[in-house]
Amino acid sequence: MKRRRLNMILAMAVLLTALLPVSCALNGEVPDREFPDTPQGNFMALWTIMDEHYCFFDLKKEKLGVDWNEVKTRYAANISDDMSDRALFEVLCKMIGELRDGHVNLTSAYDYGRNWSWKTDYPANFSKDLQNKYLGNDYIYGGNGYYYRILEDNIGYLVIESFEHSMSAGRMNVMLNNMALCNGLIIDIRDNGGGIVVASESLASRFTEKKVTVGYACYKNGPGHNDFSKMYKTELSPAEYDLRWIKPVVVLTNRSSFSSANEFAYFMKPLENVTLMGDTTGGGGGYPMSSELPNGWVVRFSSAPTFDADQNHVEFGVAPHIRLDMKDEDVQAGVDTYIESARAFINDKLVNF
Amino acid sequence: MTDSSRCSRRFASVLLAVLAVSFPLQALAQRNVFNMPQYMETIRVNSFKVGTTKTHDKYLSQSPYMGTSFGFEYDGWTGYEPYKLFSQGRNHSDLCFSVMKNPRSGGRTMILSSREYAGFMWHALKYSKYDLLAGPAAMCEFGFLYNQQNSNNPFNIEGYIGGGICVDNTLRFRDFGYDMAFQATLYVPLAGLSFAPDYDEPYYYFYRYGDYGKNIHFISPFNNVAFTQQVALILPIKESRLRVGFTIDGIRNYLGGQLHMVVNSMFTVGFATRFQSKKWDR
Repeated sequence: MKRRRLNMILAMAVLLTALLPVSCALNGEVPDREFPDTPQGNFMALWTIMDEHYCFFDLKKEKLGVDWNEVKTRYAANISDDMSDRALFEVLCKMIGELRDGHVNLTSAYDYGRNWSWKTDYPANFSKDLQNKYLGNDYIYGGNGYYYRILEDNIGYLVIESFEHSMSAGRMNVMLNNMALCNGLIIDIRDNGGGIVVASESLASRFTEKKVTVGYACYKNGPGHNDFSKMYKTELSPAEYDLRWIKPVVVLTNRSSFSSANEFAYFMKPLENVTLMGDTTGGGGGYPMSSELPNGWVVRFSSAPTFDADQNHVEFGVAPHIRLDMKDEDVQAGVDTYIESARAFINDKLVNF
Repeated sequence: MTDSSRCSRRFASVLLAVLAVSFPLQALAQRNVFNMPQYMETIRVNSFKVGTTKTHDKYLSQSPYMGTSFGFEYDGWTGYEPYKLFSQGRNHSDLCFSVMKNPRSGGRTMILSSREYAGFMWHALKYSKYDLLAGPAAMCEFGFLYNQQNSNNPFNIEGYIGGGICVDNTLRFRDFGYDMAFQATLYVPLAGLSFAPDYDEPYYYFYRYGDYGKNIHFISPFNNVAFTQQVALILPIKESRLRVGFTIDGIRNYLGGQLHMVVNSMFTVGFATRFQSKKWDR
């Protein structure tokens, strides 16, 4: 009897203790991936996160001469364990700023670390006052960030301030219906900083009558700089059950057309009835993801590159069909060179139809 | 026997039969503090649970998160036909919600997870005071993780479906003048299929491009360490049986090339109830 009881207790003990190592293994950390919450540790964490997840190192090396290993060596010299948090933040922001990518940011209570030279180094080619003048007071609100009206020469003018919200299918139908008798449509995405990719795609699908290959995409599938998945073809299908626009369209772009606006530009560029006018877009061709440093600062980085229909990177922007610059004399005269050029282009097409 | 008494007995029989097929009848008394259920019997334990969760999902964040969890779990023991190899059934279901905070950034991660296990148990050891059940189990686990800090790709899905083993111990003893029981149960998945994003693959790409084949992984204990372990004490409170316990369940893997780990450690409290099923004998 005693032996039986002993066996029972033994069996229970074996079962319970057998799991202890498993529990420990689950709770344990991976030693080679943990960084301490020190200036040195946070620096290395940021450098490693970027090293293993950022997707444009080869492109940035080729176009900007950025060597990420050299960057590490250079900036490590500025890191010491007795430096203040604010000083560390400044050094880390400068380090990631080397990549000149609008999707690479470091967020803390101190600031939003960024390098926006991709737009600040270029002419703005945009005046909000002039845009408002063309929109007037009786424009139609087509959703959050979407405003439109019909200009005097019977050309529709749609301003998209941001793609952070989608324009609903119903509102798009109403807009296209309102403009059904117009000779053409100008879509102004200047200073549009992007938003959600679905928003730009759903709008672009109104301007094609057939399925068109508009680009390609892949993503990082490993920690190496060249670990990428296969290329996925990005096809734009026509909006099947909604109104579509087959008349001339001019898309106005500038260097501040970024991310989803950049995507909208390369989605629209291959379409037959679409002409891109203005400046090269600001880029932002990498789908962003985020992570955190040991001290809680959030780092955002591009992890999935996108390409245009010819498999060229769009990280540095999409070139327009027709290059334009705002003329100072036009601005002084209260005229928007971009909008006037687009109107002239559409009217010219109408005359030569 | 008079006609009226015969009629009454018939009416009572019909009433009982209707009740029997309508819902299982609870046995009038618990024979013991926690005897294994006999054929057509089920013991059910419905428990609330509260505890802590630790997660480290490097797809969403390089930082680990810890926080509180609460949920509900169900455990069941069912008596099958005694002459069959697997004479007992063992079930476990749970639903758990966890809210975790990174104290440094103030960011939050939330997890909604659920587990469904169904074991077919062999009565390996059967003593008056001890039962050891062991057998294969079908297992399914699903978790939805949301990370507030990752604004562009804020969620991840983890889970697997497969088979494994289940071991269930019950030790009955008497102490402080009361009959009590101590239970320990272990579920370990041994093989199955699991879903994981391919390293940094954005979820938008699933929606946009499909191609899910590479996201389904065959799992084994070599690439996916997972288990659910319960220990519980069953205490008599008058006619009721209070079950207080501790459940730890965890999963850790590198599927898709990034560490994914979730460990829940939770205290449970619930009541064990014995039910007896009645077959409608035609």
